[in-house]
Amino acid sequence: MKIFLKTFLILAVAATAQANEVKLLNVSYDPTRELYVDYNAAFTKYWQAKSGDDVNVSQSHGGSGKQAQSVINGLEADVVTLALAYDIDAISQQSKLLSADWQKRLPNDSTPYTSTIVFLVRKGNPKGIKDWDDVVKKGVSVVVANPKTSGGARWAYLAAYAYALEKNNHDDAAAKKFIAQLYKNVPVLDSGARGSTVTFAQRGIGDVLLAWENEAHLALKEFGADKFDIVTPSLSILAEPPVAVVDKNAKRHHTTEIANEYLKYLYSDEGQEIAAKNFYRPRNEAIAAKYAANFNQVKLVTIDQEFGGWTKAQQTHFADGGVFDQIFQPQN
Amino acid sequence: MKTNKQLKPLIIATVIGAQLSISALAADGSVTATNGTAEIPALAADSGSSADASEIKTLKSEIDDLVKKVNALEQQRGPTEQAATIQNLDQQVRVLQRQRELDQDAAVAKSTTAPKISLGANGFIFSSGDSNFVAQIHGLVQLDNRSFDRDGHANGNDGFLLRRARPIFTGTVFHDFDYNFTPDFGGNVVQIQDAYLNYRYAAELQVQAGKFKSPVGLEQLQSDPVTAFNERSLATDLVPNRDLGLALKGDLFNGAASYTLGLFNGAQDYSGSTTNLSFQDNRAFEGRVFFQPWKNTDANALRGLGFGVGGSYLDNHPATNAATGLTSGYTTDGQQKFFSYNSGVNANGTAWRISPQGYYYYGPLSLLGEYVVSDQWVTKGKTSAELQNTAWEISGGWVLTGEESSYAGITPLHPFDPRKNQWGAVQVVTRFSGLDVDRKAFQYGFASTTKSADSAQAWAVGLNWFLNKNIRANVSFSHTTFGGFNGKPAPGVVPAQSENVLFTRIQLAF
Repeated sequence: MKIFLKTFLILAVAATAQANEVKLLNVSYDPTRELYVDYNAAFTKYWQAKSGDDVNVSQSHGGSGKQAQSVINGLEADVVTLALAYDIDAISQQSKLLSADWQKRLPNDSTPYTSTIVFLVRKGNPKGIKDWDDVVKKGVSVVVANPKTSGGARWAYLAAYAYALEKNNHDDAAAKKFIAQLYKNVPVLDSGARGSTVTFAQRGIGDVLLAWENEAHLALKEFGADKFDIVTPSLSILAEPPVAVVDKNAKRHHTTEIANEYLKYLYSDEGQEIAAKNFYRPRNEAIAAKYAANFNQVKLVTIDQEFGGWTKAQQTHFADGGVFDQIFQPQN
Repeated sequence: MKTNKQLKPLIIATVIGAQLSISALAADGSVTATNGTAEIPALAADSGSSADASEIKTLKSEIDDLVKKVNALEQQRGPTEQAATIQNLDQQVRVLQRQRELDQDAAVAKSTTAPKISLGANGFIFSSGDSNFVAQIHGLVQLDNRSFDRDGHANGNDGFLLRRARPIFTGTVFHDFDYNFTPDFGGNVVQIQDAYLNYRYAAELQVQAGKFKSPVGLEQLQSDPVTAFNERSLATDLVPNRDLGLALKGDLFNGAASYTLGLFNGAQDYSGSTTNLSFQDNRAFEGRVFFQPWKNTDANALRGLGFGVGGSYLDNHPATNAATGLTSGYTTDGQQKFFSYNSGVNANGTAWRISPQGYYYYGPLSLLGEYVVSDQWVTKGKTSAELQNTAWEISGGWVLTGEESSYAGITPLHPFDPRKNQWGAVQVVTRFSGLDVDRKAFQYGFASTTKSADSAQAWAVGLNWFLNKNIRANVSFSHTTFGGFNGKPAPGVVPAQSENVLFTRIQLAF
């Protein structure tokens, strides 16, 4: 029996040693591809210098809600970097892969960078779109993703809703009417923010894209500043994309330490610089000041102040039978 | 300007329509319009009425005015409205195209998540979209006929036999965990053949627990539907059948080498009737390594060469009766017992086996051979001895229809279909085998020469017809002779005379 166990252990250790390369899977939302390409390269260097180990970080991207569901269904993410806290809460609640207090583990409620929603319009702004009132005008074609599956689209929806509430003295019925009018102008719903960018920028559909601020800047960078303009509305929402280690997956993969370090490093000066360069608003004030020119001033409301937090907002607006289901009618 | 050109015919047509209407009201004459001007044929003047002529003149004037207005409108509004219309149409087309793209993406995404069901030669397979969960239903039914030559030869029972009747449930849960549950309703008793769970960390490292084939004998490890003959050879008499245990196993270098190392209850020499429990306290180590060095190379003539060794070791076997600790009896090809221990004999002490083995497959040619030593300490009363029984076999085959032969079986190139003049695959096979019982078994009184033989040699020839991947028909003849028997012929005394038996089989396997 002892011989058998010894042999078993030796073989098991040998097999583990064979799989020695440290691998991490970061399951993220749609527009963070470029951010994490840069960040992973920096982190790999940092970790190699610190520990001597090589690390290979794989990325998975899609609509934030879809990505969360994939993790719940078994996608073995070591870390998740999603568009909104509700999606990580869903992973915690439905799969128990991480504890409910995950958001307390890192500074700023585990949101190392922020963003907001802006308008991307065609060069010269032919439809004269300056604020949310222009977006709901008849004849304006609006491109935005499906808030049921896209985190960015949920932020965009809530930004518009917050504007309508403020404009109408917090008259909820008026805000619903406003948001219904907005989605009447949406000809096609992509499942994720990157898909919407493709729809607007590559397929040439629509007059305005309701975009993540970083995605709008990326579109200018990728497709040329001579093709589009960024318009910052008078009011938008403070989008706080959170990050978390998926505890049970990381434990199973023996990556808990490196996964934690991977997320902590987002708060480092280098991590914050990379975020700012990719047009995410850094939490670090000094670095935010350094890159202030990249970000227009805008009045930002928060999900907690305006909508009572994500759980309530999700239930009211995006759950089956919620406000979005009530007001949205597919156009074909 | 392109848009103007596209819309101009429409506007002209409208004008023409208006003019025709007006002319219809005015007179029977025709009115045509060309390039925005109207021409009134001389029909009106022919009427001879000055009033009519005046009226026509008025109308002509009105029409001229209308044409001018249309032209003015075309000039004034055309470009903007037409551009807007075209732009609107362009957007609609783009939206439809994008929607189509999204629908296609959604269809692809759905196809990767939607459950899949397939039915074919490999059975029924149900799979989750991501293949993490798979359930398969297979089956094996073998209907045999055995006809013994009664003329001076060993006399078994003639007749039909449902040799195997197995629904086979296999599958995967959570991607890495495979399972197999195989009951057998064939023969006289219903029994569980396989019931195990296999965890695949990687192809190289797997852990299997439950009831499954002991990793010792080459012929025994070959899948039941693809063995060369209806019954396995005398060599298999000395290796363990299915047993309960835990094994570490894997395929290395893409299958060029494989290993199994396990801890088992320690089954006796081959018994067709397996158990689901242990008859003694100690465990047996069993293992096997097998090499196919040229499996993944271009060396065609050597790709099908495999060799290895299997073995078992059970230290300090507690005293256990012969039927469960040693053997329930060594049997002939016709499944008649020609050797069994006397009553009161126990397995007691160390027991080990070793089996060097190999095969060679090249095109239609197949060769398979193994040698087995089964060494056991045996006691009866105060008498104790180490007995070393040995057996061997070599079998060969040739597929007459040219298909490639392999350890995993033969797949006909042209499945049976007389309407297409297709007849499946046909293979001829032959086998030689022998088994020698340690003479000490008789010298020390563990066995009796009046009831058992101390050796058996057999040869067999056969013809296998693979109608298709699922259906097979066999016919074979086997001749077995015995040595060392000193008893008298009597009913049930098998080794008193040689055994001749004709086998046939119809098999369904999927």
